[in-house]
Amino acid sequence: MKLQCTDLVKAYGTLHAVDHIDLTLEQGKIYGLIGRNGAGKTTLLSLLTAQNPATAGEVSLDGEPVWENREALAHLCFSRELNISPETGLGNLKVKEYLRIASIYYPHWDDAMAKELVELFRLPVKKKLQKLSKGMLSMVTIIVALASKADFTFLDEPVAGLDVVARDQFYKLLLEEYSATGRTFVISTHIIEEAADVLEEVIILRDGKLLMTENVQDLLDSARYVSGKTEEVDAAVRGLEVHHAESMGRSKGVTVLLKPGQAVEESRDVTVQPLSLQKIFVALCGEEERA
Amino acid sequence: MKEQLTESKSIYLQISEMIETDILRGILLEEEQVPSTNELARLYTINPATAGKGVNLLVEEGILYKKRGIGMFVAAGAREAILKKRRKSFEETHLAPLLREAESLGITREELIAMIREK
Repeated sequence: MKLQCTDLVKAYGTLHAVDHIDLTLEQGKIYGLIGRNGAGKTTLLSLLTAQNPATAGEVSLDGEPVWENREALAHLCFSRELNISPETGLGNLKVKEYLRIASIYYPHWDDAMAKELVELFRLPVKKKLQKLSKGMLSMVTIIVALASKADFTFLDEPVAGLDVVARDQFYKLLLEEYSATGRTFVISTHIIEEAADVLEEVIILRDGKLLMTENVQDLLDSARYVSGKTEEVDAAVRGLEVHHAESMGRSKGVTVLLKPGQAVEESRDVTVQPLSLQKIFVALCGEEERA
Repeated sequence: MKEQLTESKSIYLQISEMIETDILRGILLEEEQVPSTNELARLYTINPATAGKGVNLLVEEGILYKKRGIGMFVAAGAREAILKKRRKSFEETHLAPLLREAESLGITREELIAMIREK
């Protein structure tokens, strides 16, 4: 099974929240969706799951358009961050009522799993959503995502507000479910470092555009931080793809992404270090140094 | 397989080195089954594909072998092969940085040799 979008656009007036994106999601992978605030992550996820009409372009599952297609939608789950502001009316629902609605909405719902997770997270099911903490609301969205059993499951900021132990617990649950079923998960997060090892592929958005989709291990293998005296660094990285140069006095540091067969010039007196996914992301999406 | 992962090196390389170290230390014996990629993934909270990449490196080197439908096993002669490989890379991974640091500190070869003798 394959979920694909071609030339996808979502415009709000003149703002292109999603700006001509082509993307293919394959079955049996864990994807990470990362981007700065306002990069278009949530909009993209809502378009991919047909919760929001696209301005242009199309989303298809195995070639069939997803929009208003009940059969295709049965394979998709978008567990979005719960908005309990008064306008949505969601806040007055009790946890168990919300889970009951989800159980009706998702045709492959696993009620036993939902109950097990409610107990594991010690969620107060009789409380109204508006009485829950941010972390508890995240737990509700995680339960909906996992128990939906949808082949393509999208989680928007699932770890927001969770403490470090609960975040670790979530990633372990995710890996367990993934190993057991081979479902595809797409997870957006700002806590990149913790997610990095769990992801197989990373999708990076910048200003509504797709900057890259790449295998995480390949990306890490290709990235180097090169630092030293400015002239030496410049000579060592000549001809390479350089990002995010930073200078201080006579010293300079740059991030390079090596293509197959490329290497940093070894004869130069520079320090070459590996980079974490988070640092690569900052190098690609951070502001360039002011001149 | 009780070491902690660090950020300074590829996760899959660390996985393959940990398995090697366990074989060297006799924690994993030859012809014994090694943890599955799903077990490694759960233990270290890493993607199973990454764990698999680490395991496959050792399969390519003949240190592990696959029994269809059962899992991965330590090959006969694996310990000897790892020792040989690590001895071969010892100069590059340990000696070269030592000599570089000694040189920038102005420690002569004679002083260095004397230090090693005293140990």
